Amino acid sequence: MLTQTLALFYDAYRELNSKKLFWITLILSGACVAAFGAVGINEEGITAIGFTIPAPINSISITPELFYKTLFLNLGISIWLTWIATVLALVSTAGIFPSLLTGGQIETMLSKPISRTRLFLTKYTTGLFFVGLQVSLFCVASVFVIGLRSGAWMPEIFLAIPIVVIFFSFLFSVMTLLGILTRSTIASLLLTILFWFVLFIVNASDQTLVAFHESSKLSAQASSERLETANENAALAYINKAREEGRELDDSYEPTTEELDSANVFLPMLRQSVEDNQNTSRKLKPWRNGVYIAKTVLPKTGETINLLAKYVMSQEDLDAWVNLSSKDDPGTVVNEETGEVQVSSAEVNRAAAKAINDRPLWWVLGTSLGFEAVMLLIACWLFRRTDF
Amino acid sequence: MSTHLAIDLENVAKTYKAPFKEAIPALRGIDMKVHAGEVFGLLGPNGAGKSTLVKILMTVIRPSQCKGTVLGQPVGDKYTLQRVGYLPEHHSFPPYLTGRQLIEFFGAMNNMKRAERKRRASELLELVGMDDWGSKKLKSYSKGMRQRVGIAQALINDPDLVLLDEPTDGVDPMGRRDIRAILDHLKDEGKTVLVNSHILSELEQVCSRVAILVKGKVATQGTIEDLTAGQERYEIQLAPENREILTQFASDTAEVNGATLKLQSVEPKDVQPIIDKIRAKDGTILSIRRTRPSLEDLFMQAVIDPETGEELGPGAARDA
Repeated sequence: MLTQTLALFYDAYRELNSKKLFWITLILSGACVAAFGAVGINEEGITAIGFTIPAPINSISITPELFYKTLFLNLGISIWLTWIATVLALVSTAGIFPSLLTGGQIETMLSKPISRTRLFLTKYTTGLFFVGLQVSLFCVASVFVIGLRSGAWMPEIFLAIPIVVIFFSFLFSVMTLLGILTRSTIASLLLTILFWFVLFIVNASDQTLVAFHESSKLSAQASSERLETANENAALAYINKAREEGRELDDSYEPTTEELDSANVFLPMLRQSVEDNQNTSRKLKPWRNGVYIAKTVLPKTGETINLLAKYVMSQEDLDAWVNLSSKDDPGTVVNEETGEVQVSSAEVNRAAAKAINDRPLWWVLGTSLGFEAVMLLIACWLFRRTDF
Repeated sequence: MSTHLAIDLENVAKTYKAPFKEAIPALRGIDMKVHAGEVFGLLGPNGAGKSTLVKILMTVIRPSQCKGTVLGQPVGDKYTLQRVGYLPEHHSFPPYLTGRQLIEFFGAMNNMKRAERKRRASELLELVGMDDWGSKKLKSYSKGMRQRVGIAQALINDPDLVLLDEPTDGVDPMGRRDIRAILDHLKDEGKTVLVNSHILSELEQVCSRVAILVKGKVATQGTIEDLTAGQERYEIQLAPENREILTQFASDTAEVNGATLKLQSVEPKDVQPIIDKIRAKDGTILSIRRTRPSLEDLFMQAVIDPETGEELGPGAARDA
């Protein structure tokens, strides 16, 4: 049994080895790691191949360790591994099932003492092996280059291996099902990329809605705080004015809305602003919840990759970046007269990031793996039942 | 079910079904027995169900109905396949492998140990005449070479039963002779071989028994001697210029075909008077032979509808 599994893996390696794409991906990975090595920071700014580019990001504002962590996450993972290398991996592995089913190999394979389920699962795992191999080599090289350049050895980078493989497995499960259904490499690849694009749209919609909703919540909160203060001031002003006019009002007197408005003519606008912000927040909530529910049944590719930042970046690291990025941020501003609220973009980003990061791990990984399991169950069921 | 039978099938049926499409019965109840140690020929016109039957035995196709055994175990038993070798008709092996790597890979798929795989691969490359090509990639092989390596992979596990689907497809005459020699070698080693082929003359040379499938059913099966029993005859061939002499002999028991007289008799005494008459008319006899129907004759008999006298066309048993 182990002999068969090893043979299938060795065959997968030989197949990958014969494909130029495997080596192209590896060379590009090497170039990406070399780019890490070529970039650094000093007291004046960012250095690249010996040149210094003056920038607010320097070794005074952040540590070299944080600089490289961020570079690894934003360039190495978010751009290289989750986009470019994933496309190359999908292209490289798209033919695994279609070529097995249509190329005349399947009869010989099924005539061997191996069950269809095990053959299916082993072949599926060999596809993930491609990504695992690439990511592992990338991480090992990154750890060494970053360690040598910054002096900070970061074994947590190796967390990228399971996270990126799991991320890829969501797409690969869809491609496997499509490969079995269509028996076409091109069709399964293109449909998978289309599915990925749909996920990207859903994810972007989710992030936008969360940001808008959080922004409207912050606006409503800021404007209602402003209204409360304005009401208190107006009440005091009205009582003082009434007393000056000879009316006897005790301290517990609560002026009516008209009386308050007479003391501060901008109060109606402030109230309208609070109502508008609360209405916006109320209207956005069902949309935000709807997209959340839709995402629940779909694989969470974005959140899965973000898990890495969650575990690699400490709170101190995040605070350092927030301080740096919000240095020139004026904070939330409320126009005293019109009541118009300008929420700090840094606050909105922080609130939106918190809302997304607070989503539980079981929701991010559990439901995504559930989706993958359903795809694989259907694909395996079809593979077991089909006559070849 | 007998244990001395390598394959023992009863009422194997397969109907291909697809949504919104007409069901196609490919096999309509196959009863077939292949004895251990024999070379068995599976014949039939295109679409008769030969490949479907072989694929059912190899678990590539799931039967609609099947009662039977392969090497004493129920059809579909995966563990038994460790003792079976198979060459599919339209195989396609990975072009990035060398011939040796391919054979060793399928050895591993048969759970063979590494050292054993290497030893057997060398032996088999020599057996199929590919020892000089073992280290070259399959993409550089001709069709005949791929067929030879395909046979080698089918034999890697030293199987008790070998199923070869069109083994001589794309192979040149020398290669065919070599494949016949391999079949003889397997027979000498006591292996059971089931060969599915269209080339009847080749099967006639190597097969102990045959079955002819027509429209998803076994039309006839047995040894060639059994199947031709009672159909032996004498053939007298005259010089072409003497063909008119034969017209007087045409009867219910004698058929004239050009300058050849075919007698429905195997008794020498029935031939003597005819020879005398031909000689009396100064006819030149070129040959007198005692013959029996060829496998091709048997095949043609099987595929002719006895009621209509018409040839049963190719295709599955849709209208059967």
